[in-house]
Amino acid sequence: MSEHTRFEALVLPHLDAGYNLARWLARNPQDAEDVVQDACMRALKYIGSLRGGDARAWFLAIVRHAFYDWYKRNRPAEMVPDDGIAGDLTIDPAAIDPEQAALRSAESRSLSKAITQLPIAFREVLILRELEDLSYKEIAHVAGIPIGTVMSRLARARGLLQRSPLLHAFGAESAEVNHELSSS
Amino acid sequence: MNCHRVEALVSPYADGEVGHFLRLSIERHLRTCAGCAAKHRDLLALRERLRAEATYFKAPPELRTRVLALLADARAPTPLHPGPQPDRWRWLVGGALAGCAATVLAWVVGGAVVDWRANQGLAAEAVAIHTRAVLSEHLIEVASSDQHTVKPWLSARLDYSPPVRDLTSEGFALIGGRLDTLDKRRVATLVYRHRQHTIDVFVWPESTNAPSTLRIVRGFTVARANGSGMDWLAISDVSPDVLTAFVERLARADVSQ
Repeated sequence: MSEHTRFEALVLPHLDAGYNLARWLARNPQDAEDVVQDACMRALKYIGSLRGGDARAWFLAIVRHAFYDWYKRNRPAEMVPDDGIAGDLTIDPAAIDPEQAALRSAESRSLSKAITQLPIAFREVLILRELEDLSYKEIAHVAGIPIGTVMSRLARARGLLQRSPLLHAFGAESAEVNHELSSS
Repeated sequence: MNCHRVEALVSPYADGEVGHFLRLSIERHLRTCAGCAAKHRDLLALRERLRAEATYFKAPPELRTRVLALLADARAPTPLHPGPQPDRWRWLVGGALAGCAATVLAWVVGGAVVDWRANQGLAAEAVAIHTRAVLSEHLIEVASSDQHTVKPWLSARLDYSPPVRDLTSEGFALIGGRLDTLDKRRVATLVYRHRQHTIDVFVWPESTNAPSTLRIVRGFTVARANGSGMDWLAISDVSPDVLTAFVERLARADVSQ
């Protein structure tokens, strides 16, 4: 099989998975498309190194690399040491910006918004686990981290989500809004 | 096992990622400790919400097209002596080569079988129908997860009665059906959902004893099987092994009604 045929047979079926990961990491469609296109060029170049194994995890690892390269080039200021702890302590400025808070629409209160506000090291393991249904071992391979780290990051990601005001604020906020409306 | 330790392990436990003995002791603890049991329930609830509500972003059709074009470009042979050429001419040649490469590519993919060409044409037509249905959001004409609603609807509009089976318990939820024209005949199309993926299954009375085949066409998987007196052709963007197992499951006699 030629490299192109192998690419088409092994990688193209996972284009959605690659795009989904890139889209959740980059948080906007244009950048995600650029990242996936770059990843496809790399995958085509290195397809010879894919011997058996899981093509999806292999391709997702490439998408992830392509994303971080893009991220370093385009948003160097947002890069934090990739130990997952620094990220835990940073608070997304959008979450506390009063104007943003005032403009929160029903959509932005959603679970998806809460996920996009997770620090990137947590966001990626969560997406790989919950939306791609990868095992810890596969996530470790894709993200290039030990299985123990996968385990702790996932637990932290879930803890952060459960405590996210975005997930709980709906009832409380609408009560506040009603109160403001009646008092004005 | 104490609460502190269970708290640290409840997340991998919920993922089925702890070993056998650890799992048993966590289970024992959860039966007796209301606090930890609540944490476990919260985790399961969160997962339910994540899987149901978090958007699964599918690759936009333009991206798929761009990647295919990229593939075609990479395939086009580069001239040995790229002498000075007028830009427009070079562009035309490039376009023609890319076009040829794309066409060749569409034909090359897949294994060798006797009715290779016929099968390939059928697969390509199925992919076209599937993408058109998905893009136009005209996926379903009879929306129901109830096989007893979908089957009569289809039978009333066809000269045969396709077997219809909901396989939600196996991860493939029947969401409805529609009618399509495939290879100049009217066929029943069953629509299933598997996780975030849509699967179209075309069913028509068996006309050949074609062996089960698998094709990848434009990034979509097309799997075909025979059984229950019908020809089954499934198409989706799920992985080839999943789709093959699914279509063979549908075609098996014990599924028909």
